[in-house]
Amino acid sequence: MQKDPLSPGDTEIVRKVLDGDVNAFEVLINRHKVLVLKIVMKHVPHKDVEEAVQDAFVKAYLSLPTFAGKSDFSRWLSSIAVRTCYDFWRKAYRSREIPMSALTDQHQEWLEEVLSGESWESGPEHSTRSEAAEVLEHALGMLSAEDRMVLDLVYLEGRSVKEAADLLGWSTANVKVRSFRSRRKLRKILKDARQKERRAS
Amino acid sequence: MRFQISENERLKRTFQEIYSAKVRDDLGDGWQSDVMRRVRQAGPLKSAAGFWPAFESLVWRLAPVCCLLVLLLGLLFMRMDLDRGYDYLGTVTADMERSTLSELYGLEG
Repeated sequence: MQKDPLSPGDTEIVRKVLDGDVNAFEVLINRHKVLVLKIVMKHVPHKDVEEAVQDAFVKAYLSLPTFAGKSDFSRWLSSIAVRTCYDFWRKAYRSREIPMSALTDQHQEWLEEVLSGESWESGPEHSTRSEAAEVLEHALGMLSAEDRMVLDLVYLEGRSVKEAADLLGWSTANVKVRSFRSRRKLRKILKDARQKERRAS
Repeated sequence: MRFQISENERLKRTFQEIYSAKVRDDLGDGWQSDVMRRVRQAGPLKSAAGFWPAFESLVWRLAPVCCLLVLLLGLLFMRMDLDRGYDYLGTVTADMERSTLSELYGLEG
C-alpha cells in the first residue's frame, strides 16, 4: 500500500493517541492490519486467528506509552504480534488444548515418501499437502511453546537468529540454543514415527 | 537408522512450502470494530514520560546488581568469624556499662 506523503507518520499518530485521542488508534490498525494478520495467521490455528489479532492490537494499544519512537512502529508492532502468538501457545499448552492425535498410516506413508525422495522432485502434491500439514502440526504439537515459536521463526520462516531474538524479546544465545534443540527434537519425533511405520510393515 | 542431511533438507523445504501456504484470505471487518470497542473501554492512556516511570525502569535495571551485592555480602558474612566479634562487642559494652554506672552513682573508686 502506497503511503500518502501528506498523511501523518506513525509516531505522530502514536503521540495523538497518547494525548487522549483514542480514535486515532484506528488509523494505525488500518495501516498495519495486513502485517499483523500475516504474522498471526502463520503461527496460530485458523479458528483462533481473529481473537489473536484482536489481542495483539489491544496489547499494542496498552503498550503504546512504552513505544519510544526510536525504532520503526511496524517493527515494534510485529514483535507484539509474535509475542501474542507465543502467549497463545503457552496458554494452549498449559490448558492442554493441543490435540495429540497419533499419525495415521497415510501420514507415515507420506513421511516415508518424502524422505526417500519419491514424491519430492515436483514438491508436495496437492493431495499430499494436507498430510504434510498434519504431520507438521503433529510434530509441532509435541514441542513446547518456546521450541515451537523458535522453530516457526528460524526453521520454517527462515528468519535470522538475531531477527527472531528481537521479535521474541529473548537473547540471541537463547534463540540459538533453542533453535538447535527444537530441530533435534523435531528430527527425533519424525524419526520415531518413521521407525514405527517400518516396524509395522 | 541415521537421518541423512539430504533427508533433513528435503523435509525442511517441504515443511517450509506448507508453512508459507498457511496465510489465507483476509478476515472480515468485525474484528476491527471489536478491537476499537476494547480500546475505548480501556480509555485514554497515560504517557510514560515523567519521573516515576523513569525511576521504575532504573530500579529494574539496578535490581540484578543489588541481588549480586546481597549475595556477595551474604557470602562475606558467612566466611567471617562472627562469634569472636560478638565476644569483643560484649566485653566492650559490658565495660562501658560498668564504668558509666560507677561514674554516675559513685559506686566505685
